[in-house]
Order: sequence, then structure tokens, then C-alpha cells
Amino acid sequence: MTAAPLPTGDLRTGTLPDDAILVRARGVTKRFGGLVAVNAVNFDIPRGAIVSLIGPNGAGKTTFFNMITGAYTPTSGDITFDGHAIVRMAGSKVRSLKPFQVTALGIGRTFQNIRLFGTMSALDNVRVGLHVHLKSHWWDAVLRTPGMRAEEQRSIERGLELLDIVGLSGRADVWARNLPYGDQRRLEIGRALATNPKLLLLDEPTAGMNSSETAEMTDFIRRLRRDFGLTVLLIEHDMRVVMGISDRVTVLDYGEVIAEGTPVEVRANPRVIEAYLGRGAAAEA
Amino acid sequence: MEQIVQTIIIGLANGLIFALVALGYTLVYGIIELINFAHGDVFMLGSFMALVLISSVFALNANTPLLMMVAQILIVLAITMFATAAINVSIERVAYRPLRNAPKLAPLISAIGMSFVLQNIALLIFGPANDSVDSILPRVNVLSLVGIESITISAEQVFVAVVTIPLLLALTWFVSKTRQGKAMRATAQDPDTAGLMGVDVNRTIAITFLIGGALAGAAGVVQILYNNTTVWTLGFRFGLNAFTSAVLGGIGNLQGAVLGAMVLGLINAFSDRYLAANWTNAIVFAVLIGVLVFKPTGLLGQQLADRA
Amino acid sequence: MSAAAKPIKPGLVGWFGYLLESAMAVPGAYRDALVRRPRRTIALTALIVFGLLYPILNRQIFQPWNRASTFPLPFPEDAVVTFMIIFAIMAIGLNIVAGFAGLLDLGYVAFYALGAYTAAFFASPHFGSVTFILFSEAPPGFPGIHLPFWILVPLGFLVAATFGVLLGAPTLRLRGDYLAIVTLGFGEIVPVVFKNLSAVNFEFGPIRLVNANLTGGNLGINPIDAPRFFGISFGSNSGIAAVYLGLILLLGAIVVARNLERSRMGRAWMAIREDEVAAEMMGINTVRTKLLAFGLGASFAGVAGVMQASYQGITTSDFFQFSTSILVLIMIILGGIGNIWGVIVGALGLVFLDSTFLPYLGLRFTAINPDLPNPSQFNFLIFGILLVVMMRFRPEGFIPNRQRAAELRHAPPGQAIGSAAVLGEEALADEAKADEIAAEQVAEVEAEAAAAADAEAESATEGDQPR
Repeated sequence: MTAAPLPTGDLRTGTLPDDAILVRARGVTKRFGGLVAVNAVNFDIPRGAIVSLIGPNGAGKTTFFNMITGAYTPTSGDITFDGHAIVRMAGSKVRSLKPFQVTALGIGRTFQNIRLFGTMSALDNVRVGLHVHLKSHWWDAVLRTPGMRAEEQRSIERGLELLDIVGLSGRADVWARNLPYGDQRRLEIGRALATNPKLLLLDEPTAGMNSSETAEMTDFIRRLRRDFGLTVLLIEHDMRVVMGISDRVTVLDYGEVIAEGTPVEVRANPRVIEAYLGRGAAAEA
Repeated sequence: MEQIVQTIIIGLANGLIFALVALGYTLVYGIIELINFAHGDVFMLGSFMALVLISSVFALNANTPLLMMVAQILIVLAITMFATAAINVSIERVAYRPLRNAPKLAPLISAIGMSFVLQNIALLIFGPANDSVDSILPRVNVLSLVGIESITISAEQVFVAVVTIPLLLALTWFVSKTRQGKAMRATAQDPDTAGLMGVDVNRTIAITFLIGGALAGAAGVVQILYNNTTVWTLGFRFGLNAFTSAVLGGIGNLQGAVLGAMVLGLINAFSDRYLAANWTNAIVFAVLIGVLVFKPTGLLGQQLADRA
Repeated sequence: MSAAAKPIKPGLVGWFGYLLESAMAVPGAYRDALVRRPRRTIALTALIVFGLLYPILNRQIFQPWNRASTFPLPFPEDAVVTFMIIFAIMAIGLNIVAGFAGLLDLGYVAFYALGAYTAAFFASPHFGSVTFILFSEAPPGFPGIHLPFWILVPLGFLVAATFGVLLGAPTLRLRGDYLAIVTLGFGEIVPVVFKNLSAVNFEFGPIRLVNANLTGGNLGINPIDAPRFFGISFGSNSGIAAVYLGLILLLGAIVVARNLERSRMGRAWMAIREDEVAAEMMGINTVRTKLLAFGLGASFAGVAGVMQASYQGITTSDFFQFSTSILVLIMIILGGIGNIWGVIVGALGLVFLDSTFLPYLGLRFTAINPDLPNPSQFNFLIFGILLVVMMRFRPEGFIPNRQRAAELRHAPPGQAIGSAAVLGEEALADEAKADEIAAEQVAEVEAEAAAAADAEAESATEGDQPR
């Protein structure tokens, strides 16, 4: 799928038609006791877009991620994904889908701190990602029915395919924790891809990488979007990545959206500069 | 009616003993998130030690003059508390500290092993049967001194209160007011940062075990003087009740442990009296399971430990 | 991965074809093993043959020798061997719960009891007011319910599994140590319930029980039908036959466990064990998956219980103590947690130790000097010390599972006691702290990666890693 021209208009105000939007978050708030981590965030992610979520440390980016995936339940708000409600308000109570249900709907994610299954091989890590789409039950496994064996075979084939795609062919049998750091990041993406997602959430995919690795990863993300028709939401700190790859950028600070737009627009936005660099810098811009 | 009040009194007295043991569980859990399975057995060893000291070493009996009796009881308390504290610290050193970085279930299993070791040591030395002493404290109904005849509060029960309540207060003071207590609370919240702030984490944990052990020892002495009997399996029953108390009150929470212990003392007393001793253990377990499933933070919620 | 190239035939025909193929591949696989590792293969073969022939050898050679000789050797008798097998079945079951899925169950004995009492209820004259005989070789008109062994086994399986699910459903969401305590409680409550239901007064509609002795109370239920096939009894008076019946059940247990391990479920369990949060994010319904492990594991104990009750012809709640749960736990820890063969060896070894070797030592000691302590009296002292020592020095057991060994020696940061970096909720909630931890981890991982890159070059030639 080539990058169709993205609809214009501020993603915060919900002016885009529904079918162009993959994720719609409205009034999403998360309180931890007295701390408001995310405050009434409105956020749309258009289909096929690569959107970056940026902001200073503690701005609430990962918290927001976690609410999309169902790991956290918001204090209030709605989130719909591809027409399905992930988070819904029923009166004053908030109901959220569980993470595994969200994954089944088509959202895959990677983690800020790599969370691979260390003592499982790279191939098995990816096959775990396939879990949600495999159908055999435990009795099929015990009896070793043809259906189950065929499925296992297919899962190995698909797993190897995915390893190829993320550039880890030949490493299928290596334990995840024995892989070099860059490979681990890619394996995590491979595992997320195995869940057959429509939306890929990448949490700081280039953390700890040098500039050539970062360029590779950036390229890779672009290719993923193109080859799989994915929509990507990134949390990133590396501005080169953000500027280079994003179709839209949303800036969070203290849990609120302070800016949204194309990378160029956001970069020049004084509030954004102020959030990152302080008032003085904003005044100079 | 009197029966009910009497049962309540018995329940509260035993509850105080549970409280001393429960504090050991809750302190240790609060600081390293470990259920110290062996703690009840440390209590049991304390009770045996008290038994030996009282009956063999001091030949304490009902006829000993009051002043002597008090003095000897204090000495027995001191020795026993010292010994059980030492035992508890050694257990931590041998069975838990080396496993500090292992997955959580490893020290738990080690604790179970330790529990068996302690139980069987007692079994080896003292044999399988109950061991008893004759009542030592004066068999006096304290309430009769104030003119109430229908309900009894025995001198033994007063003794229980006299020993346990000061210890509980001392502990509360220690944890909230002293530097070491602050170190304990800091380590319970966040060991790494506490370490960075200059707290000697290892030593703090050792002191926690020391305090817990001492309290268990005191409980052992009280057990001998109040219930007059002990047996190598005593640790299991008391440990179960004490741990349930800690969980009921909110694990990691000192006041909660005491509150929970009171409740459990009452449950035990009422179950023993109105149902059958056969069922009491099962009921306590049912309470434990109920709390863990429906309100895992307990009655007073978590205080010492904020970790999920 | 030999299946990679061959197409898989569907349907019942395909399935039989697969079974036939697997059976016919055995000699070839054996020849391969013989070529690749001759000494190990021969040693294992000798061991297995010896094991299979043991009951016969025992009866014909060892026991008579012992009786005649002045220095008898600790050869286990048939009853001990049968219990070795019964406990091996339980060890495999607990291995599914604790070894595969990583759930600590301290009350496993409850399911053992449930299986035993199932056999006691449905294959004995206990419910004397009813007469119900189905496929059993019990004499016609014999009071009580009598089902044959081959119905009892799946029945025990189901009963235990059901209770496993009932217990697990509300409790499996608890964290590890709390779950352990809850299961311990269940392990206590079930035998107590069985012990105390000896005088039940119950009225509900048409059902009226007056002083009904449901479970035999302290005395238990006795006699219980022995397994009978074609007129041959496989109970305790049959000696040898019972051992072979047990072996068949054990074989079934091994096959089931192995097949579960190498399946989608097995991988899901492994993932949950490694990192439950990440596993759930990858689409695994962790509660249901854990429940499956718990229920299936329980069912093995149910089968073992049926075997115990039928073999011994009697069962009472005294057989089912907390120490039995711990004994099975020790078996899997000593033997090798997560490794089916390891836990079998652990079970065989521990039952041998407890039932034959320690009493043997006791006799020897007494022969030398009557004042020496009898080791079989403090078996649990020895087991307790073993537990502490094993957890300290070799937590993965004697025959380790490579993954568990790796996990146990290097806990992921989120799971160690005394470590502040509880990843997951906390780190995710506090981004500043998370950043800090991330930076630390990156440094750590890069250092490890350098070391791993070296190790990798070597390990690439090993090719032994489990799939």
C-alpha cells in the first residue's frame, strides 16, 4: 500500500471522516492516586499513517500506549480501534478490554525495555506472537492430530518468514537473550508482527542505537508500513527519527496534548520548544 | 452470655500471642516480600527453649516466691528472645540472603525447607509427644478482686497482656521513631534507592529478622506460661494463624497485623468452643483464602510496602 | 524439524498413518542415538531394561538373596516400586503446573486425595445401600457402586481437573507467593473435609442423610476394589502385575506431558513463566492458560490417586498430608524442574530413599549400635536440608531443563526479591524511573551481548537447544 495522501486537518478535533481513522481516543484521562498522568487527551490516528508521540520524560506517553493496549484502564474516556471499542464508558464506570483481547483485534506492540522471552529461541518468540491466531486446543496437542501438526508446521514456516523479514534469518535457534541488542529490538518487532496487527505500537524503537542503526531502523519502519499496510504509532525521543519518518506528530507534556501537526509545524511550535528547552529558548525561536 | 464473654477473653489472649508472631511475618514480608515459612517454627523452638529453661534450669513452679518468679521469667524472656533472634538472623543469612537475586519462588521453597528442618530438629530432640509444664502463674481470677465472679480473667491472661502489649508498643515506637526504623521503612519501599541513600540494606534486613525472631521468642515464652504446652508441630498451627492475621490486617502493616491477630484469636476461640477443634484449621485457611481472593490488601491496606 | 518438508495427511487415516510412522521411526532413531552417543544410549537402555525386569528379578533373585544373606541390600519391594510409579505420575503432573507454567502449588495432595476417594466411592462396597455394578468384575449383587478401573481412571482425571479449575479460577490471578499459600490452604482443607464427613446430617428436598458416613472419617474407606482385567487382579496382593499396570499409566502420563510441552500451549506456558505481562500483550489469555496448566496438572494427581486407592484397597485422609505435597515438590526440584525425565528420576529416587533406603540404614545402624539415631525418623529433616541446599546451589535440579536452569540462575530484573526495578506497572507508570532503568538495562544488555557474541560462536555448533 503506497502512502495515500493523508487527510489534512487537526487530528485533535475529530474533523476527519470515521473510516479514515484507525484509532480514536476521546477525553482519555489516567489518574494514579493524586497524580494525573494523562489528562483529557483527544487523539486520532489515521489509517496508514506513521504517527509519533513525543514529549519530555514523564509526559505520559507510555501510559497512553498502555491504555490503548488495555494494560491500563483509563480513569475516563473512550478509545475505539477500527470500529471496535477498546475503552468504553458505561455511566461513570470505565470498561476496558484486556490486553490479549486488544491484541486479537489487531494491535501489536514493542516495549521500551525489551521484553523478549529470553530463554526461548528467536523462532519460538515469534511463534508465541502467532498464538492468538492458532486454533488448536490442548487435546489436539495431546493427541497430535493432523490438524494440530499442520498448524505447528505452518507456524514454523510463518515464523521463519517473519524472522527473514526482520533480518534475523539464520538466528532462528538462538535464545533471545543471547542476541545482540539491535537484533533483540528487531526480534521484538518480528514478534509483534506475528500477531498480524493493523496497528503497530513501537515504544522507543531506536533507544540505545547509534546513528547508522537508527537509520536502518527508520528505513525498516517505513518498509513495514509499505509492505504490510500497517499504521504505526511511535514513541520516540530521537528527533531525527521523528522528523524523518512521521506523517504526523503529537506532543504531550504533563499528560496533555500541547501540539499536533506535521513534523515541520510541530518543530516550530513555541509551546513545544518551551516544553523541551524552557521558556528562554522559546522566546528566541 | 458469660460463655461468650469468656470465649472472647480467651480469644483475645491467644490473639495477643498470634500478634507477636504475626509481626514477624509482616515485618519480613514488608521488607523483602518473602513469606517466611520457618517463622512459626522459630516460635515453636522458642517455646521449647522456654520450657527447658523454666522446668529444668530454673525449676520454676507455682510455689516460687513472686519476686523470684518475676525475675526468673524476665531472665527466661531475655535468654529466649536472644536465642530466637539469633536463630532467625542465621536463617536469613543461610537460606534467604544468597537467594536475594533469584526468582521469588526460590527463597519461598528454601523457607519451606527450613521449616521442615526446624520442625524435625525439635522432633529429634524433644520427641513427638506434647510437652507440658504445670501451671506456674497464680491461678487467680483477677476480676474477682474487683468483685466480678461470673467472668474470669486469669492472672495468666493478664500476664499475656503485660508481656505482649509493651512489646507491641516498643516495636511501633522503634519503627516510626528511630533511625533504624526509618531505614527499615525505606528499605521496604525501595531497597536500591535506600542503599544509594546510605542505608546498609543487608544489615537492615538482618535487624528486621532479629526483631521478628525476638518477638517470636517472647511469644514462645508466653505460650508456655499461658497454654502450658508445646509440641513440635506447634509452629504450623501458630504460623498459619499468625500469617493469616498478617494478611487479614494487610501484609506489611504493623497495626493491621495486631488487629488481624485479635480477630483470628477470636475466630479460633469460637471455633474451638462451638464447632470442633477439628474444623478450626480449615476455617482459618478458609479465612486466609477468602481474604487473599476478595481483599488481598487486607483490612488496613498496605503500609510498609508499597510495591504491587 | 523433520516435518518441515513432508505434507501432513488429514483425517483419521492421516492420524493413524502418523502413529504408525512414529512407531516405525523408533528403531531408526535408536540406531541414530547409538551411533551418535553410544555410551549414553547403551547405559540408558540397560537401565530401562533393568527397570522393566526389576519386579521379576526382585521376586526371583533379590529378595530370596536378601532373606538368605547376612548382609541384605536395599532392594525395593513391589509395593515400594508401585508407589515409585504412582509418585512419578504425580511428579509429572506437578511439573506441568510448576515446571511448565511456573505456578507454585503447595496443596497438590488435595487432588491426589480427590482421585483416591473417587475410586473409593465408585469401586467399593462403601455406599452399601446402593448396588450398581457396571462392567466390573465384582460379583453380582455385591453392594456398593462398582465401576471398573478403566472407567475410574478417566473419572479420577475429570474430578481432579474439575476441582483444579474450581480452585484455580478465583485464585490464579494472585501473585506467586499468595497463590502458593492459597493452594496450601486447599491442600489442608480437602483432607480435613474428607476426614470429618463421617457423620453428616443433611436435608434438602427429597435427599435426606442421617448420620451418613460419607467418607469413612478417620478410618477411611476399605476395602476398595482392586483393578481387575480378564480375571487377573492388579492390586497389592498381585505384586508384580500392579507394577506393570502402573507403568502403563506412567507411559501415558509421559506421552501426554511431552505432547503438551511441544505445542502451542507449551510455548504459551513458557512465555507466561518468562514474562507474564509481555505474554498477555502477545495475545495469550493468561488466566485461561494458567487455569489449563493447573487443571491438567491436577488431573495427573487424580489418576495417581485412583491407582493408590485401587492398588492398596484402602484409603484414608491420613494418607494425604501437607508433607506429601511438599514431598512431590521436592521430587521435582531435586530431579529437575521443568524436565519430565528429571522429575521422574526425582520421584523414583525420593520414594526409594524414603521407603527403602532410610529404613534400611536404620536397620544397619541399629545392628551396629542400638543407640544410633534411626535416619528414617527424620526423613523430612534430610529433605528440608536438601531443599535449602538445592535452592542455594543447584535450583535447576540434577537433570535440568536448560531453560529453567538459565532462568533460575539469572532472574529477570522484575522478579528478584530486593530489587527495586519491578518492571511492568511501576516502570510503565513512572517514565523517569523507566528511562533510568532502560539506560541501565541497555548498558547491561550491551555488555552481555558482547559476551554472548563470543558464546554464540561456540553454541552454534551445539544445536541442542530445545524448540
